[in-house]
Amino acid sequence: MTRNGGFEPVFCTIIPPHVLDRLAQSDDPALSGRARRTIQRDAYERTRRHLTTVAGAPAVALLADAEPGKPQRTVYDARHGTGLPGTKVRGEGDEPGQDATVNRAYAGLGATFELLLKAYARDSIDGDGLPLDATVHYDEDYNNAFWNGEQMVFGDGDGEIFLDFTHAIDVIGHELAHGVTQYTANLTYYGQPGALNESVSDVIGALIKQYTLGQTADEADWLIGAGLLAPSVTGKALRSMKEPGTAYDDDVLGKDPQPATMDDYVRTGRDNGGVHINSGIPNHAFYLAATTLGGHAWERAGQIWYDVLTGGDLQQDALFADFATLTVKAARARYGDGDELQAVTKAWERVGVRTL
Amino acid sequence: MRIQVRRAGGFAGIERRAEVDTTGRPDAAEWHTLAERALSAGRATPPPGVPDGFSYRITVDGRTAHCADPGLTEDQRTLIRRVLKEGA
Repeated sequence: MTRNGGFEPVFCTIIPPHVLDRLAQSDDPALSGRARRTIQRDAYERTRRHLTTVAGAPAVALLADAEPGKPQRTVYDARHGTGLPGTKVRGEGDEPGQDATVNRAYAGLGATFELLLKAYARDSIDGDGLPLDATVHYDEDYNNAFWNGEQMVFGDGDGEIFLDFTHAIDVIGHELAHGVTQYTANLTYYGQPGALNESVSDVIGALIKQYTLGQTADEADWLIGAGLLAPSVTGKALRSMKEPGTAYDDDVLGKDPQPATMDDYVRTGRDNGGVHINSGIPNHAFYLAATTLGGHAWERAGQIWYDVLTGGDLQQDALFADFATLTVKAARARYGDGDELQAVTKAWERVGVRTL
Repeated sequence: MRIQVRRAGGFAGIERRAEVDTTGRPDAAEWHTLAERALSAGRATPPPGVPDGFSYRITVDGRTAHCADPGLTEDQRTLIRRVLKEGA
Protein backbone atom coordinates (compact mmCIF):
# COMPACT_ATOMS: atom_id res chain seq x y z
CA MET A 1 0.00 0.00 0.00
CA THR A 2 1.20 3.46 -0.86
CA ARG A 3 1.64 5.93 1.92
CA ASN A 4 1.98 9.59 1.25
CA GLY A 5 4.85 11.63 2.47
CA GLY A 6 5.79 9.08 5.09
CA PHE A 7 2.54 9.76 6.91
CA GLU A 8 1.97 7.28 9.72
CA PRO A 9 -1.32 7.17 11.55
CA VAL A 10 -0.95 7.48 15.29
CA PHE A 11 -3.57 4.89 15.96
CA CYS A 12 -4.98 2.22 13.79
CA THR A 13 -7.44 0.28 15.82
CA ILE A 14 -10.18 -0.18 13.32
CA ILE A 15 -11.67 -3.61 13.24
CA PRO A 16 -12.37 -4.54 9.64
CA PRO A 17 -15.92 -5.74 9.06
CA HIS A 18 -15.81 -9.28 10.35
CA VAL A 19 -19.13 -10.11 8.92
CA LEU A 20 -19.43 -9.19 5.31
CA ASP A 21 -22.48 -11.39 5.01
CA ARG A 22 -22.71 -10.95 1.32
CA LEU A 23 -20.51 -9.08 -0.87
CA ALA A 24 -22.73 -7.19 -2.71
CA GLN A 25 -35.87 5.94 -16.27
CA SER A 26 -36.69 6.99 -18.38
CA ASP A 27 -36.87 10.22 -20.49
CA ASP A 28 -39.92 12.41 -20.46
CA PRO A 29 -40.31 13.25 -24.15
CA ALA A 30 -43.37 15.38 -23.40
CA LEU A 31 -41.14 18.08 -22.02
CA SER A 32 -40.01 20.37 -24.75
CA GLY A 33 -36.36 21.32 -24.89
CA ARG A 34 -37.03 24.78 -23.53
CA ALA A 35 -39.06 23.57 -20.58
CA ARG A 36 -36.45 20.96 -19.78
CA ARG A 37 -33.65 23.51 -19.80
CA THR A 38 -35.64 25.79 -17.54
CA ILE A 39 -36.30 22.99 -15.09
CA GLN A 40 -32.68 21.91 -15.15
CA ARG A 41 -31.41 25.43 -14.55
CA ASP A 42 -33.90 25.99 -11.77
CA ALA A 43 -33.09 22.76 -9.98
CA TYR A 44 -29.39 23.31 -10.58
CA GLU A 45 -29.48 26.69 -8.88
CA ARG A 46 -31.51 25.49 -5.96
CA THR A 47 -29.32 22.45 -5.47
CA ARG A 48 -26.20 24.58 -5.66
CA ARG A 49 -27.51 27.02 -3.08
CA HIS A 50 -28.63 24.20 -0.85
CA LEU A 51 -25.32 22.38 -1.00
CA THR A 52 -23.35 25.56 -0.43
CA THR A 53 -25.48 26.22 2.60
CA VAL A 54 -24.93 22.72 3.87
CA ALA A 55 -21.18 22.78 3.27
CA GLY A 56 -20.86 26.24 4.74
CA ALA A 57 -22.41 25.19 8.00
CA PRO A 58 -20.04 25.07 10.96
CA ALA A 59 -18.35 21.71 11.37
CA VAL A 60 -19.61 19.49 14.13
CA ALA A 61 -17.52 19.99 17.23
CA LEU A 62 -15.05 17.24 17.93
CA LEU A 63 -15.89 15.02 20.83
CA ALA A 64 -13.82 15.67 23.91
CA ASP A 65 -11.91 12.42 23.60
CA ALA A 66 -11.30 12.65 19.86
CA GLU A 67 -7.77 11.88 18.76
CA PRO A 68 -6.23 12.58 15.36
CA GLY A 69 -6.15 9.45 13.23
CA LYS A 70 -8.90 7.73 15.17
CA PRO A 71 -12.52 7.53 14.11
CA GLN A 72 -15.33 8.87 16.27
CA ARG A 73 -18.25 6.69 15.29
CA THR A 74 -21.79 6.81 16.58
CA VAL A 75 -24.57 4.59 15.35
CA TYR A 76 -28.17 5.54 16.03
CA ASP A 77 -31.36 3.52 15.70
CA ALA A 78 -34.39 5.27 14.19
CA ARG A 79 -36.52 2.34 15.40
CA HIS A 80 -38.46 2.42 12.11
CA GLY A 81 -39.39 6.05 12.54
CA THR A 82 -38.06 9.01 10.56
CA GLY A 83 -36.71 11.23 13.32
CA LEU A 84 -32.95 11.83 12.94
CA PRO A 85 -30.59 10.89 14.32
CA GLY A 86 -32.65 8.59 16.59
CA THR A 87 -31.48 6.76 19.69
CA LYS A 88 -27.75 6.21 20.21
CA VAL A 89 -27.02 2.49 20.24
CA ARG A 90 -23.26 2.24 19.77
CA GLY A 91 -20.47 4.73 20.36
CA GLU A 92 -16.76 4.62 19.53
CA GLY A 93 -15.02 1.75 21.25
CA ASP A 94 -18.23 0.10 22.43
CA GLU A 95 -18.40 -3.67 22.10
CA PRO A 96 -20.55 -5.12 19.30
CA GLY A 97 -24.15 -5.63 20.31
CA GLN A 98 -26.88 -8.03 19.21
CA ASP A 99 -28.01 -6.00 16.23
CA ALA A 100 -26.03 -7.06 13.15
CA THR A 101 -27.21 -3.99 11.24
CA VAL A 102 -25.71 -1.69 13.86
CA ASN A 103 -22.47 -3.69 13.83
CA ARG A 104 -22.24 -3.60 10.04
CA ALA A 105 -22.79 0.16 9.99
CA TYR A 106 -20.14 0.66 12.68
CA ALA A 107 -17.66 -1.55 10.83
CA GLY A 108 -18.41 0.17 7.52
CA LEU A 109 -17.77 3.59 9.03
CA GLY A 110 -14.47 2.23 10.36
CA ALA A 111 -13.45 0.75 7.02
CA THR A 112 -14.17 4.03 5.24
CA PHE A 113 -12.23 6.00 7.82
CA GLU A 114 -9.31 3.60 7.48
CA LEU A 115 -9.09 3.78 3.70
CA LEU A 116 -9.21 7.58 3.73
CA LEU A 117 -6.52 7.70 6.40
CA LYS A 118 -4.16 5.02 5.17
CA ALA A 119 -4.43 5.47 1.44
CA TYR A 120 -4.88 9.24 1.28
CA ALA A 121 -3.74 10.50 4.70
CA ARG A 122 -7.18 12.07 5.17
CA ASP A 123 -8.46 12.37 8.73
CA SER A 124 -12.17 11.55 8.32
CA ILE A 125 -14.46 12.91 5.64
CA ASP A 126 -13.72 16.58 6.25
CA GLY A 127 -9.98 16.01 6.68
CA ASP A 128 -10.26 17.26 10.24
CA GLY A 129 -11.55 14.36 12.29
CA LEU A 130 -15.26 14.86 11.71
CA PRO A 131 -17.27 12.41 13.83
CA LEU A 132 -19.00 9.80 11.70
CA ASP A 133 -22.67 9.33 12.43
CA ALA A 134 -25.05 6.79 10.96
CA THR A 135 -28.70 6.02 11.58
CA VAL A 136 -30.03 2.53 10.86
CA HIS A 137 -33.56 1.10 10.75
CA TYR A 138 -34.87 4.30 9.19
CA ASP A 139 -38.62 4.23 8.46
CA GLU A 140 -40.47 1.02 7.60
CA ASP A 141 -39.58 -1.20 4.65
CA TYR A 142 -37.44 1.68 3.46
CA ASN A 143 -35.67 0.88 0.18
CA ASN A 144 -32.90 3.41 0.35
CA ALA A 145 -29.81 4.87 1.97
CA PHE A 146 -28.76 8.51 1.76
CA TRP A 147 -26.45 11.22 3.05
CA ASN A 148 -28.38 14.16 4.52
CA GLY A 149 -25.50 16.61 4.60
CA GLU A 150 -24.49 15.62 8.12
CA GLN A 151 -24.85 11.87 8.49
CA MET A 152 -25.68 8.59 6.77
CA VAL A 153 -29.14 7.07 6.88
CA PHE A 154 -29.96 3.43 6.13
CA GLY A 155 -33.24 1.70 5.51
CA ASP A 156 -33.89 -1.99 6.14
CA GLY A 157 -35.29 -2.61 2.67
CA ASP A 158 -38.69 -4.19 2.16
CA GLY A 159 -37.33 -7.73 1.91
CA GLU A 160 -39.10 -8.17 -1.43
CA ILE A 161 -36.88 -6.06 -3.65
CA PHE A 162 -34.17 -4.75 -1.38
CA LEU A 163 -32.49 -6.10 1.72
CA ASP A 164 -30.92 -4.12 4.54
CA PHE A 165 -28.72 -1.42 2.97
CA THR A 166 -25.88 -2.00 5.45
CA HIS A 167 -25.24 -5.38 3.78
CA ALA A 168 -23.06 -3.73 1.15
CA ILE A 169 -19.93 -2.07 2.50
CA ASP A 170 -19.53 -0.16 -0.75
CA VAL A 171 -22.91 1.47 -0.08
CA ILE A 172 -21.69 2.66 3.32
CA GLY A 173 -18.54 3.99 1.65
CA HIS A 174 -20.62 5.56 -1.11
CA GLU A 175 -22.70 7.56 1.36
CA LEU A 176 -19.70 8.75 3.36
CA ALA A 177 -17.97 9.71 0.11
CA HIS A 178 -20.84 12.13 -0.52
CA GLY A 179 -19.59 13.77 2.65
CA VAL A 180 -16.02 13.93 1.31
CA THR A 181 -17.30 15.52 -1.90
CA GLN A 182 -19.40 17.99 0.07
CA TYR A 183 -16.33 19.11 2.00
CA THR A 184 -14.09 19.31 -1.09
CA ALA A 185 -15.21 19.88 -4.69
CA ASN A 186 -18.87 20.10 -3.62
CA LEU A 187 -20.06 18.99 -7.05
CA THR A 188 -23.59 20.19 -7.78
CA TYR A 189 -26.03 17.32 -7.50
CA TYR A 190 -27.55 17.75 -10.94
CA GLY A 191 -26.71 16.77 -14.51
CA GLN A 192 -23.06 16.01 -15.31
CA PRO A 193 -21.58 17.45 -12.11
CA GLY A 194 -24.20 15.41 -10.26
CA ALA A 195 -23.24 12.27 -12.19
CA LEU A 196 -19.60 12.99 -11.29
CA ASN A 197 -20.66 13.38 -7.65
CA GLU A 198 -22.38 9.98 -7.85
CA SER A 199 -19.46 8.41 -9.67
CA VAL A 200 -16.92 9.63 -7.13
CA SER A 201 -19.07 8.00 -4.43
CA ASP A 202 -19.24 4.74 -6.39
CA VAL A 203 -15.47 4.82 -6.96
CA ILE A 204 -14.68 5.41 -3.29
CA GLY A 205 -17.32 2.86 -2.25
CA ALA A 206 -15.77 0.24 -4.54
CA LEU A 207 -12.28 1.07 -3.28
CA ILE A 208 -13.38 0.61 0.33
CA LYS A 209 -14.76 -2.81 -0.49
CA GLN A 210 -11.58 -3.79 -2.36
CA TYR A 211 -9.36 -2.41 0.38
CA THR A 212 -11.29 -4.33 3.03
CA LEU A 213 -11.06 -7.55 1.03
CA GLY A 214 -7.45 -6.92 -0.02
CA GLN A 215 -8.39 -7.30 -3.67
CA THR A 216 -6.51 -6.15 -6.73
CA ALA A 217 -8.31 -4.45 -9.61
CA ASP A 218 -8.41 -7.78 -11.48
CA GLU A 219 -9.86 -9.67 -8.52
CA ALA A 220 -12.61 -7.16 -7.75
CA ASP A 221 -16.17 -7.57 -9.03
CA TRP A 222 -16.62 -3.81 -9.58
CA LEU A 223 -20.26 -4.10 -8.55
CA ILE A 224 -22.07 -1.48 -6.49
CA GLY A 225 -24.67 -2.80 -4.08
CA ALA A 226 -24.01 -6.51 -4.54
CA GLY A 227 -26.02 -8.36 -1.88
CA LEU A 228 -28.74 -5.69 -1.66
CA LEU A 229 -31.19 -7.27 -4.06
CA ALA A 230 -33.66 -9.76 -2.59
CA PRO A 231 -33.32 -13.34 -3.86
CA SER A 232 -36.41 -13.05 -6.07
CA VAL A 233 -34.91 -10.19 -8.08
CA THR A 234 -33.08 -11.03 -11.29
CA GLY A 235 -29.83 -9.16 -10.89
CA LYS A 236 -26.46 -9.21 -9.20
CA ALA A 237 -26.21 -5.61 -7.94
CA LEU A 238 -27.43 -2.06 -8.56
CA ARG A 239 -24.58 -0.91 -10.78
CA SER A 240 -21.60 -2.39 -12.53
CA MET A 241 -18.51 -0.29 -13.10
CA LYS A 242 -17.07 -3.03 -15.27
CA GLU A 243 -20.13 -3.38 -17.48
CA PRO A 244 -22.53 -0.50 -16.87
CA GLY A 245 -26.08 -1.45 -17.87
CA THR A 246 -25.78 -5.13 -16.89
CA ALA A 247 -26.31 -5.10 -13.11
CA TYR A 248 -29.96 -6.18 -13.22
CA ASP A 249 -32.74 -6.98 -15.66
CA ASP A 250 -35.90 -7.73 -13.74
CA ASP A 251 -39.67 -7.80 -14.27
CA VAL A 252 -40.28 -5.42 -11.39
CA LEU A 253 -37.12 -3.31 -11.35
CA GLY A 254 -36.71 -3.05 -15.10
CA LYS A 255 -33.27 -3.01 -16.66
CA ASP A 256 -30.13 -1.28 -15.42
CA PRO A 257 -30.21 1.98 -17.42
CA GLN A 258 -26.55 2.92 -17.10
CA PRO A 259 -24.51 3.81 -20.19
CA ALA A 260 -20.82 2.91 -20.42
CA THR A 261 -19.88 5.51 -23.00
CA MET A 262 -20.95 8.96 -24.23
CA ASP A 263 -22.66 7.36 -27.26
CA ASP A 264 -25.41 6.19 -24.91
CA TYR A 265 -25.52 9.27 -22.65
CA VAL A 266 -29.07 9.63 -21.29
CA ARG A 267 -30.69 13.06 -21.38
CA THR A 268 -33.38 13.32 -18.73
CA GLY A 269 -34.68 15.76 -16.16
CA ARG A 270 -35.48 13.00 -13.69
CA ASP A 271 -33.23 11.63 -10.98
CA ASN A 272 -31.67 15.09 -10.75
CA GLY A 273 -30.85 14.92 -14.42
CA GLY A 274 -29.86 11.26 -14.44
CA VAL A 275 -27.16 11.42 -11.77
CA HIS A 276 -27.47 7.68 -11.05
CA ILE A 277 -27.64 6.87 -14.76
CA ASN A 278 -24.85 8.75 -16.49
CA SER A 279 -22.47 8.09 -13.61
CA GLY A 280 -21.90 4.84 -15.50
CA ILE A 281 -19.61 6.70 -17.91
CA PRO A 282 -17.05 8.10 -15.42
CA ASN A 283 -17.45 4.87 -13.41
CA HIS A 284 -16.38 2.84 -16.42
CA ALA A 285 -13.49 5.21 -17.11
CA PHE A 286 -12.20 4.60 -13.59
CA TYR A 287 -12.58 0.85 -14.02
CA LEU A 288 -10.63 0.96 -17.29
CA ALA A 289 -7.83 3.07 -15.81
CA ALA A 290 -7.59 0.89 -12.69
CA THR A 291 -7.58 -2.46 -14.50
CA THR A 292 -5.11 -1.24 -17.10
CA LEU A 293 -2.73 -0.25 -14.31
CA GLY A 294 -3.43 -3.39 -12.28
CA GLY A 295 -2.57 -3.89 -8.63
CA HIS A 296 -4.57 -2.18 -5.91
CA ALA A 297 -7.00 0.28 -7.45
CA TRP A 298 -6.83 2.65 -4.48
CA GLU A 299 -3.13 3.19 -5.03
CA ARG A 300 -2.58 4.79 -8.42
CA ALA A 301 -5.97 5.19 -10.12
CA GLY A 302 -7.62 5.98 -6.78
CA GLN A 303 -4.88 8.45 -5.90
CA ILE A 304 -5.35 10.31 -9.17
CA TRP A 305 -9.13 10.53 -8.71
CA TYR A 306 -8.66 11.61 -5.09
CA ASP A 307 -6.16 14.28 -6.16
CA VAL A 308 -8.75 15.71 -8.56
CA LEU A 309 -11.56 15.64 -6.00
CA THR A 310 -9.54 17.39 -3.33
CA GLY A 311 -7.06 19.41 -5.38
CA GLY A 312 -9.07 22.61 -5.54
CA ASP A 313 -9.27 22.89 -9.34
CA LEU A 314 -12.47 20.88 -9.77
CA GLN A 315 -15.36 23.32 -10.10
CA GLN A 316 -18.79 22.69 -8.62
CA ASP A 317 -20.36 22.70 -12.07
CA ALA A 318 -17.66 20.55 -13.71
CA LEU A 319 -18.62 18.50 -16.75
CA PHE A 320 -17.21 15.07 -17.61
CA ALA A 321 -14.58 16.64 -19.90
CA ASP A 322 -13.44 18.98 -17.10
CA PHE A 323 -13.05 16.11 -14.67
CA ALA A 324 -11.30 13.95 -17.27
CA THR A 325 -8.86 16.71 -18.14
CA LEU A 326 -8.01 17.19 -14.48
CA THR A 327 -7.32 13.46 -14.05
CA VAL A 328 -4.84 13.63 -16.91
CA LYS A 329 -3.14 16.62 -15.27
CA ALA A 330 -3.14 14.90 -11.90
CA ALA A 331 -1.65 11.72 -13.37
CA ARG A 332 1.17 13.72 -14.94
CA ALA A 333 1.74 15.81 -11.81
CA ARG A 334 2.01 12.81 -9.54
CA TYR A 335 3.52 10.13 -11.75
CA GLY A 336 5.10 11.96 -14.68
CA ASP A 337 4.87 10.85 -18.28
CA GLY A 338 4.36 7.14 -17.68
CA ASP A 339 1.87 4.28 -17.52
CA GLU A 340 -0.52 6.21 -15.30
CA LEU A 341 -0.87 9.06 -17.77
CA GLN A 342 -1.38 6.59 -20.61
CA ALA A 343 -3.95 4.53 -18.72
CA VAL A 344 -6.01 7.54 -17.67
CA THR A 345 -5.93 9.18 -21.10
CA LYS A 346 -6.94 5.93 -22.84
CA ALA A 347 -9.70 5.25 -20.32
CA TRP A 348 -11.48 8.52 -21.08
CA GLU A 349 -10.91 8.03 -24.79
CA ARG A 350 -12.64 4.65 -24.63
CA VAL A 351 -15.74 6.07 -22.92
CA GLY A 352 -15.88 8.93 -25.43
CA VAL A 353 -14.96 11.80 -23.13
CA ARG A 354 -12.52 14.26 -24.63
CA THR A 355 -9.59 15.42 -22.51
CA LEU A 356 -7.83 18.67 -23.25
CA MET B 1 -60.35 10.99 -6.83
CA ARG B 2 -57.20 9.76 -8.60
CA ILE B 3 -54.07 9.90 -6.48
CA GLN B 4 -50.79 9.27 -8.29
CA VAL B 5 -47.32 9.04 -6.77
CA ARG B 6 -44.05 8.97 -8.67
CA ARG B 7 -40.89 8.27 -6.71
CA ALA B 8 -37.56 9.08 -8.38
CA GLY B 9 -33.89 9.08 -7.41
CA GLY B 10 -32.66 7.07 -4.45
CA PHE B 11 -29.41 5.14 -4.23
CA ALA B 12 -30.60 2.81 -6.98
CA GLY B 13 -32.01 5.57 -9.16
CA ILE B 14 -34.99 3.37 -9.97
CA GLU B 15 -38.30 5.07 -10.58
CA ARG B 16 -41.58 3.80 -9.14
CA ARG B 17 -45.12 4.90 -9.84
CA ALA B 18 -48.46 3.89 -8.42
CA GLU B 19 -52.01 5.15 -8.49
CA VAL B 20 -55.10 4.80 -6.32
CA ASP B 21 -58.60 5.59 -7.56
CA THR B 22 -60.74 6.21 -4.50
CA THR B 23 -64.03 5.90 -6.38
CA GLY B 24 -66.31 3.49 -4.56
CA ARG B 25 -63.85 2.82 -1.77
CA PRO B 26 -65.30 2.72 1.72
CA ASP B 27 -62.30 4.70 3.01
CA ALA B 28 -62.51 7.33 0.25
CA ALA B 29 -63.09 10.23 2.64
CA GLU B 30 -59.99 9.33 4.59
CA TRP B 31 -57.92 9.21 1.37
CA HIS B 32 -59.27 12.59 0.27
CA THR B 33 -58.32 14.28 3.54
CA LEU B 34 -54.87 12.76 3.47
CA ALA B 35 -54.30 13.64 -0.19
CA GLU B 36 -55.38 17.26 0.25
CA ARG B 37 -53.07 17.69 3.24
CA ALA B 38 -50.14 16.07 1.46
CA LEU B 39 -50.73 18.23 -1.60
CA SER B 40 -51.02 21.52 0.28
CA ALA B 41 -47.73 20.84 2.11
CA GLY B 42 -45.93 20.19 -1.18
CA ARG B 43 -44.04 22.53 -3.48
CA ALA B 44 -44.72 23.63 -7.03
CA THR B 45 -41.25 22.58 -8.20
CA PRO B 46 -39.03 19.70 -7.02
CA PRO B 47 -37.10 20.66 -3.86
CA PRO B 48 -33.33 20.01 -4.04
CA GLY B 49 -33.31 17.03 -1.69
CA VAL B 50 -30.12 15.30 -0.55
CA PRO B 51 -27.61 12.97 -2.27
CA ASP B 52 -29.32 9.61 -2.93
CA GLY B 53 -32.55 10.84 -1.36
CA PHE B 54 -35.89 9.93 -2.93
CA SER B 55 -37.89 12.71 -4.57
CA TYR B 56 -41.64 12.43 -5.00
CA ARG B 57 -44.31 13.87 -7.25
CA ILE B 58 -47.87 13.67 -5.97
CA THR B 59 -50.71 14.28 -8.40
CA VAL B 60 -54.32 14.47 -7.23
CA ASP B 61 -56.92 14.86 -9.97
CA GLY B 62 -54.45 16.74 -12.12
CA ARG B 63 -53.04 18.96 -9.35
CA THR B 64 -49.35 18.29 -8.70
CA ALA B 65 -46.96 18.91 -5.80
CA HIS B 66 -43.38 17.86 -5.12
CA CYS B 67 -41.51 16.82 -2.00
CA ALA B 68 -38.28 14.99 -1.11
CA ASP B 69 -36.72 12.90 1.63
CA PRO B 70 -35.96 13.49 4.41
CA GLY B 71 -38.21 16.57 4.51
CA LEU B 72 -41.63 14.94 4.17
CA THR B 73 -44.57 15.82 6.38
CA GLU B 74 -46.24 12.91 8.15
CA ASP B 75 -49.23 13.21 5.82
CA GLN B 76 -47.00 13.06 2.76
CA ARG B 77 -45.11 10.08 4.11
CA THR B 78 -48.30 8.22 4.96
CA LEU B 79 -49.91 8.97 1.61
CA ILE B 80 -46.82 8.00 -0.37
CA ARG B 81 -46.41 4.77 1.57
CA ARG B 82 -50.05 3.79 1.13
CA VAL B 83 -50.21 4.61 -2.57
CA LEU B 84 -46.96 2.79 -3.37
CA LYS B 85 -48.12 -0.20 -1.33
CA GLU B 86 -51.79 -0.43 -2.24
CA GLY B 87 -51.85 1.32 -5.59
CA ALA B 88 -51.58 -0.23 -9.02
